[in-house]
Parts: sequence; structure tokens; C-alpha cells
Amino acid sequence: MEATNNDSMNRSNAGTTDYDVLVIGAGIAGEESALKLADMGFKVLLIEKEPSIGGKMILLSKVFPTLDCAACITTPKVSETARHPNITILTLAEAESIVKEENNLFSVTFKKHPRYVVENDCTGCQECETVCPMVVKDQFQFNLVARKAIYIPFNIANPRVALIDIENCTLCGACEQKCPSNCIDFTQKEELVNIKVKSVIVATGFKLFDPISIERYGYGRYKNVITSMQMERELAPTRPFNSVLRPSDGKVPDKIAYIFCTGSRDHTVGNPICSQVCCMYSTKQAQLLMGALPMADISLYYINIRAFGKGFNEFYMQAKDMGANYVKGKIGSISEKENGNLILRYEDIVTGKVTEKEHDLVVLSVGLLANHEITKVFKNEKLELDALKYIKQPDLLQSPATTSIKGVFVAGTATSPMDIPDTIMSAGAAASETSGYLNQWS
Amino acid sequence: MASNGQPKILVFSTEKISDPALDLAGLLKKHYPFTIYTISVPCSSCIKPRWIMRAFDKGFSGVFIAADGTDCSYGESCGEKTSQVVTTTHQLMRDKGLKPSQLKMAAICSVCAEPVVKHLTGFMKELEKMQS
Amino acid sequence: MTKKKIGVYVCHCGGNISDYVDIEKVKEAVKDEANVYLLKNTLFACSDSSQKEMVADIQTNELDAIVVASCSPKLHVPTFRGVAQRAGMNPYNYVQVNIREQGSWAHSDNPKGATEKAILLVKAGIARAAESEALTSSKIPAANVVAVIGAGVGGMRSAIALADMGTEVYLIEKEKNVGGHVANFGSLFTTDKMGYELSANLLSEVKKRENIKLFTNAEIVEKKGSIGNFDIQVKVDNDVLPLHVGAFVVNTGFDSYQPQQGEYGFGEQTNVITLPEFKKLIDNSSERLIFNGKAIKKVAYIYCVGSRQNDEGDNKYCSRYCCTAAIHASVQVNKKFKDVTNLHFNRGIRTYGKQELLYEESSKNGDIYLQFSLDSIPEITQKGGKTFVKVKDILSAGKEVETEADLVVLVTGMVPRENSKLASQLKIPVGRDNFFNEIHMKLRPVETVIDGVLIAGTCQSPKNILETMNSSMAAAAKINSVLTKGEMTLDPTLAKINPSQCTWCGKCAEACPFDAIIQTEFDGRIVAKINEANCKGCGMCTPVCPTDAIDLAGFTNAQIEGMIDALAE
Repeated sequence: MEATNNDSMNRSNAGTTDYDVLVIGAGIAGEESALKLADMGFKVLLIEKEPSIGGKMILLSKVFPTLDCAACITTPKVSETARHPNITILTLAEAESIVKEENNLFSVTFKKHPRYVVENDCTGCQECETVCPMVVKDQFQFNLVARKAIYIPFNIANPRVALIDIENCTLCGACEQKCPSNCIDFTQKEELVNIKVKSVIVATGFKLFDPISIERYGYGRYKNVITSMQMERELAPTRPFNSVLRPSDGKVPDKIAYIFCTGSRDHTVGNPICSQVCCMYSTKQAQLLMGALPMADISLYYINIRAFGKGFNEFYMQAKDMGANYVKGKIGSISEKENGNLILRYEDIVTGKVTEKEHDLVVLSVGLLANHEITKVFKNEKLELDALKYIKQPDLLQSPATTSIKGVFVAGTATSPMDIPDTIMSAGAAASETSGYLNQWS
Repeated sequence: MASNGQPKILVFSTEKISDPALDLAGLLKKHYPFTIYTISVPCSSCIKPRWIMRAFDKGFSGVFIAADGTDCSYGESCGEKTSQVVTTTHQLMRDKGLKPSQLKMAAICSVCAEPVVKHLTGFMKELEKMQS
Repeated sequence: MTKKKIGVYVCHCGGNISDYVDIEKVKEAVKDEANVYLLKNTLFACSDSSQKEMVADIQTNELDAIVVASCSPKLHVPTFRGVAQRAGMNPYNYVQVNIREQGSWAHSDNPKGATEKAILLVKAGIARAAESEALTSSKIPAANVVAVIGAGVGGMRSAIALADMGTEVYLIEKEKNVGGHVANFGSLFTTDKMGYELSANLLSEVKKRENIKLFTNAEIVEKKGSIGNFDIQVKVDNDVLPLHVGAFVVNTGFDSYQPQQGEYGFGEQTNVITLPEFKKLIDNSSERLIFNGKAIKKVAYIYCVGSRQNDEGDNKYCSRYCCTAAIHASVQVNKKFKDVTNLHFNRGIRTYGKQELLYEESSKNGDIYLQFSLDSIPEITQKGGKTFVKVKDILSAGKEVETEADLVVLVTGMVPRENSKLASQLKIPVGRDNFFNEIHMKLRPVETVIDGVLIAGTCQSPKNILETMNSSMAAAAKINSVLTKGEMTLDPTLAKINPSQCTWCGKCAEACPFDAIIQTEFDGRIVAKINEANCKGCGMCTPVCPTDAIDLAGFTNAQIEGMIDALAE
């Protein structure tokens, strides 16, 4: 592997360090695979490009169909992963290249982005945040609120330490002066690290559909059209506001609409398949909203309800019994009134008529998309994708965790949309397959 | 009674679920009266009535059980068993002339910082009223 | 025995604690507490230098317990237990006191109050440490051997996965043949594979592995023991074999719903059949689709038969695989035979995920979809030797549609298999839907409340083959990770029974969700005993004991009451 010719980068040569497994992505799939393999005694390197592990699940409110709080389920796994003696975690680390060598080892180069905060010394006191003058949109709250240029990603982040978003930092040094443990370090540089591993698990998860491309829904133009992930944050116990409110004027909404299949089952956006989770998470949000805002009217516009998993259909029936108004209808367009309310024009499939209805908040139930950028990292042998750009599973029914490269396995939503229980089981399968492979090795 | 004349509350929290909620409340600087003290146990269904009675005996005005509810990692029966502890203790309290409202229980999830503070401050107000 | 030489450390946490809590005042207030031998404050207790200092303190002063008053125990209990261990002190003689999250931060508005609270919290910590007991984790040998029950495709997959990870497997199948339902299936959806091929492939992989022993015509007749060490008797044909296993993976599969007599004309009209029967018909027909000597031109599929039932039925759940399976059958029909029309009478198609493409393909083939609700289900009638299906179609504004059909296919779902004998032998809990129940759907989807009894595949809930494989392998990975070392370390924070106080009333055994309380003899009496391999240390058994004979290690009466007394000061 050639060193990148860039003077600003340090190149540490850790080529002798051996891990049995490299797990790429520390969402719940990556964590579960890593934990199982580590429990079996394998040495695991878990890399995550975000500043915290926990993936998307750690940001959710509650989970269907049990309504457990997502944080309560995620954080014990997160801390178990973080503490495990056989797991090394690197956050802000991104795989750059993976080459399979003749001896079947994988030579992996990854980029370690600087945090500009000494991770081991930061106590998470957040004093720096109080003095930082730069205010920017908070991506972990899906832009509902702002954060500082030096920030802790979110309250239950792991590691719960600050980082500096250098692009928005003015280098004023206020944080450096304020920090009680002297852990701000502006001299940190991007590092390229090279290691050798025996196997790789790809657990890179999914991307959320960005509804800005569906112009007729007005997302990005109409303030009171939000995504389901934004609603997820509004409902989370670590939510940015103390109650559910609509963005245009901070009013508590009382006529909320959900538009299902936003970016799913839709050839016009290039995603013909069903995202498998949106019906249920919308149903869950409806139940939570009915609890939080007992007077609110909640309508859910759907094509088909996919309530297929254990306890899902019962959960859907429960939402209906609680008063959620499910409307089988196709949304034509949305228009905005002067007061910020929204008029939905839709074809009611049951009556066969085109109908209009006014809502004061519209939630788009956005779908899941394949996150396939990782394939570029594989330099000699090709990590193949299926027709839908998910990681291809050549032996789908017999060995679902294997990929087109021997020694590279796949877990979770990198293979297909799926819910949390299915993800955990897919991650278990990947751990099983990897362990079997490593046993043959020795 | 504490130095400021406020009643004292003993909270039984659980290590994995409700104690993290109290931690989060602190982290978010959501204040509550300082005369609220916590003892953390593995599961709310392991609290012995004699401990609660001891607390009253020694001068606590209220005991709050921050229960696991449905999030309990030891199984679904936790809620029911914790309620049983409360029922048994209520009987013992009556015998001692204590009011049942001096013992409270609520399910607290691990990030329920706001609800737990609300519960505790509300409970404190009730106890203050009782005292006056 | 009360600890007499306790070391106490009060942490500033930079300023996180000391900005609000007056550390000197805390020290002053606790310095004369009984059993305090050494008292220090530290800027960062968790820093490397501070940890080293503590190790030296413990060793030079021969401390028998330590207390660190700093942040939440969630953060640093493992850190300071490590300190104790390195200094040669039992890690369970360490107590953490939280004066940050529940002290300085919670009361940053009231430094005086925060200080007063910190003083009492530290005193309570000292009281707890004084009564702390040294605990040692015991290790028990555990057999790295698993009995996989059921040799359908899921069970075989679990067995292969386990064998490849180095676990020995007994694969126990009740029937004469392996492969379950799938062995009789033809084409499987979303792949080109045949069911019988998949089953045969798996069987040949099973046979290749020396560490899998397959028993057919076999069932468990007796079970004793707990995780790591179960002794079972397996009846194979007419012999009974004693086997020693560390755990079970239960992969006993599902039954197909059998429609009731007269349900949509089933059992009354010969051309009303179930989906599995129809699939066989497709596989066994060539060129023309013939049923009872008659060429089939129009097939009506009635969905959700035996699933998503109303209040009168038991099955409230969705069977998950049937929408896709029925559509897949109709696509097969279109591929194999000419001029057959498929009419799908459904309740909302649930081809989730990538299976959506199959639904699209069927729609492109010209299949007709009509949707009904539970209040007005399709009616099947016979007129002049012909069969008609009548329905109010939701998709066309509730218009009543009646159409002739040559064959009516009831899309039957999955039902839990009658397995009460096995369930009671292994104490597997059953959920509201009568499928076997996992301990936690997301955290532990393949485990049950009984340690060492795992569930996989469709005995847990309806699944398609891919999902069955994932869960079968996940169960294999989970149990291998527990047994692979050949021994298990038991967490020492367990319940403990004082036999001289116990009068065996059985209340504790009833309260224990983990089957961890057994009977033993003490002084000629029956008393309770903790089966340490099963105990999880939750303490549910402790408050129910009428003679107060049970204590939880780390949370004994002496410790908790010592703390209460200190806090009440």
C-alpha cells in the first residue's frame, strides 16, 4: 500500500499490529458482531467514522413494538462494547483502502480524523461549549437546534468527549483557556494507519432518504414539513425541546399527518423496494404522540401497512384502537397556507375520490437507502453489490453473511433494509460465519 | 430533617435503568432538592420492606422507588413484584401510623431525567405540605 | 467481618465537583468516621498517576477496603475495581460514591446543599465499605457441546455453524427425515434455489462434519442440570442414550395452519386447497396446470387464512412469509403455464423489503389484486358446478365483485407447533401468540429466560428462510461465545441463603424468574439453595422470604441499613 503523498498527514506504521477481525461501522450491527467475536476470544478492531459509536439506534426515541426506550437498550451494548478487553474502538476513523494479499491477510489503511481534543483527558464537563462563540446546526439533532463548534455529539455519546468541528472553528482559543483538564490540542493531525487483519465485517448500515428531491412534498421549503427522523428526536427523552412542536412558530401541533413510503416503493426516486421499518416506526410515533398530545388528531396516509414481525400486527391494531386515523391514500401534493398549515391533496383509495385535508404538521416517513460507498475501499478483489446497490449476498439462503470476497462478511442493513431484531440476528450470523472462517485459518 | 428544615427523601434506584436517569438529570443540571439521597440496587424488586421501614424509623419523611418497569433486564415480572413490595410495606407503615403516601413508586426509564425530577420535586412538595 | 482500614478518596474532577462541593469540608466531616484509616483528595481520581498512588496506598497501609467519591459508578467502577485488583485487594471491597452527577451537578444551584449531601453520601459509602465482603468469581466447567433440537433447515444450519466454530453438536430430529417443510418445497422466493436442494446441501454439509452427530427418530425424554452441564436422555428408535451437553438450541419450526372444516369452503369443496398443497401442484405439473383432471385457468388466492384473525380467532399475528410466498407461487404459475389468471384476494400486501420486487413482477404479469377487510370476507359459492368468489373490493371504492375461479388457494399462515412436552422439559416460556418467547426482542433475541436454552427459527415467530438462517446462526454464535472456553465464570454478586434461617416455604423459588433456587438438605431439613449457574443476582427472591433468610451479595442488610443510617444523620 502506497502512502498518500500529503505532507499534512502523519503516517504511523502500525503494520505489525494484528487483529483477527476488522469491523467497519459501530452501529448496532457492528457492535453486536464485535461483541460476539470478542466473547469468543478474537481480537477485534471496530472503526466508526462518526465521533460516537451507537449508530442510528442510539438517536431514536422508543422502539416498536415493545416501546422500550431506545437509549436503555442501546447504551448497555455500547458500554459493553467500549469496555470489552478484546475490542479496540476507533471513532472518527474511516477505511481508505483494503487489499487482500496472497497470504489471505487484508492490508487495511484507514484515516483517523483529528478530534482536536485529547480523548483520554476530556472529562465531558462541557465547559468549552459555554465559551465557544461559533453556533452551527446540530446534525445529531437533525438540524432542529444548534450546537457549538466544539461540542459533545449528544448526551449519551460514547466516548462522551468533546470534539472540534474545525471547519466552523475560528481558532479563537476560548475553549483552550476554559478547559479545566487542558485537553484541547490544535496540533492534532489527520493520520493514516495501516494494519493487517484476517477478516473483515462490513456493517456500514444505511442512509436515510433525503426528501428534498420530492418537490411536491415541499420539504425544505415548507417549515412544517419534517422528516420522521426529526420527529424521532422531538420524541426522544434526550430531545432538544421539552415538547413536540412545529418548526415555523413553535406551536404544539394538533393535526399531524404522516406520509408513508416517502422515498420507498418509488421508481421515480430510484428506490423500488419497501424500506421495511417505516410503517412500524410511524405507527410507534403515532402512539407516542397520542400519549404526549392527547387532543391531537393523527392521520397516517399509507399504501399498504407492513406490520409483519413478531407483535407488529398487534401493535398496529393497538394504534388504531387508540384512535390513529389510517388513510389508504396516495398523496398528490402539499401546499402551504399563510399560517404555516399544510393542505394535503390526495386520492382516497377507499372512496376513490380526490380529497383535500388541512394539517398543521406533516411528517415524511422517509425510507432507507443502500450505503454502498464502502465498496470503493476494496482495491483488488471486488465487493459486489446487488441490483439495488446493497452488498450482494451470493449465498442468500444458506450463508447470508458471506460476500463476493472470501474472508469479508456483512451484517445488518448493509444487506437490505431491516428492523432492529433482524439486524441483531444478521449480526449474529456474521459473527458465526467469521468465527468459522477464522477457525479454519488456524 | 436536613439543615434547611426540608424533609428528606430516600430514593431506591436501579443500577442499569433508573440510576442512569438520575445521572442524566445531573448532567443536564436539572436541579432538585439536595435532601434527596439515592441507594442504587440491581433491580427494584429486590428492595426489602425492612429497609424502607428502617429509613422511616431513622427520620426519612419519604421513600421513592424508581422502578424498572417494562425496561427491566431481569424480566417482565419485575413491575408486579415491586408493586408487591410496596403493598407489603404499606401494611407495615399503617401499623406504625405512617401515611401510605410517604412511600411512592414510579417506573423510570434510563433517560427519563425530566420525569424523575418532576416526580421527586412533586413528592417533596407533598411531604412539605404534610409536614406543615 | 467489619473492615477496619478503609481508604477514602474525594475527587475534585477538575472543578466539576470542587466548584460546588467544598472538598475540605467533606474531608473534615468524615475524617473521624469509624474505620477510616486514610483520607485524601485528588484532582482526578481516574488519572493514571492517581490510580498508581492508590495502589501504593493500599499496599503500604494494608488497606482492607477503599471508597472513591467521584462520578457515577457507571463510568468508573471497572476502573477502580482494577486498581483494587492490581493492589492485591478484593475488587468487591471497593465502593464508589457518586458526588458529581447526583451531587455537584444536580445541586449546582446550591453549593451548601451539595456539600451537605456529599458528606452524607461519603459517610454512607464508608458504611457500605465497612460491611463489604470479599467476593470471588467461581468458575465451573462447561461442556462445549450443544444439543440442537430439530433438523429442519434452520436446525441443520445451527449445527453446521456450531461445528465450524468448534462446538460439538448432537442434532436431534423427531422425524425419520431431515429438512422439515423445506425439504418438500420446490422453488424458493427471491433466489433460484429449490427447497429440496437447500435441504440436501445442508444435510451433506452436516454429514461432512465429524463433530456433528445426527439422530433421527429421536427425542429428549429426560433433562437435568443447568447451563454448561445438562444431562439428558435421548430416545433414539428404541434405545435411550445418556448425553452430556452445555446448552440447547431449540429449532423446532412451525406448523402450517390447517383451515377449519368449511372455512372458505375448505373440506367441502374439492377445489379449495391450501398454499402448501398448491405449491406441490405447481411443482408436480408440467406444461399445463391440472387439478382433479381439470385444466386450471383462473386461480383465486385468499390471503391471511389463519392469520390476523378477529376476536374469535387465536392468531392475531401476521404470519410474515405468506404474502410473498403466495405471490411467488403466482409468478411461478406465470412462468410455467400459459394463460392462467391469478386473482389475489388480500388484506393489504406485505411484501416488505426487497420482496417488493416480486409483487411488482406479479402486477406486471397482469395479476389482479382485490382487497377486503375483516368485516366482509370473500364468499365462496358453488353454482352449477362452478366456483365463484365474491368480495367487496376496497381498491375500487368497495364495489362488489364476483368472479369465477377454477381453483381457490387458501394462503395459510404459520402456527406454533404443539410442543408442550419439550417446552415443559426445557422450561421454555411461551408468548402471547403461543410461539416460544425470547428474553428480549432486541438485546437478546435468541435467548430465553432459562440460561443455556436458546431458540431459533420459526419456533420463535414466523420467518422466511433467510430470517430463519440468520436467527439459527445468531443462536449458534451466542452459545458458542459462552461455552467455547470450556468453563464459565460466574458473577459473584449472587443471592445467598442462610440455611439455618430457611424453613423452605418455596416462595423464593416461585419469585425467581431464572429457575435458580433448588432444594437441599441442611441439618436434616429441606432448605433452599442457590443454583449459582442460573442466578443472575437480581434479588427478586430476597423480599419475599418470610424469615429474611436471603441476602444479595453487595446489598446485604448490614450494608444497606448501614447506608440508610448514615444518610439519615
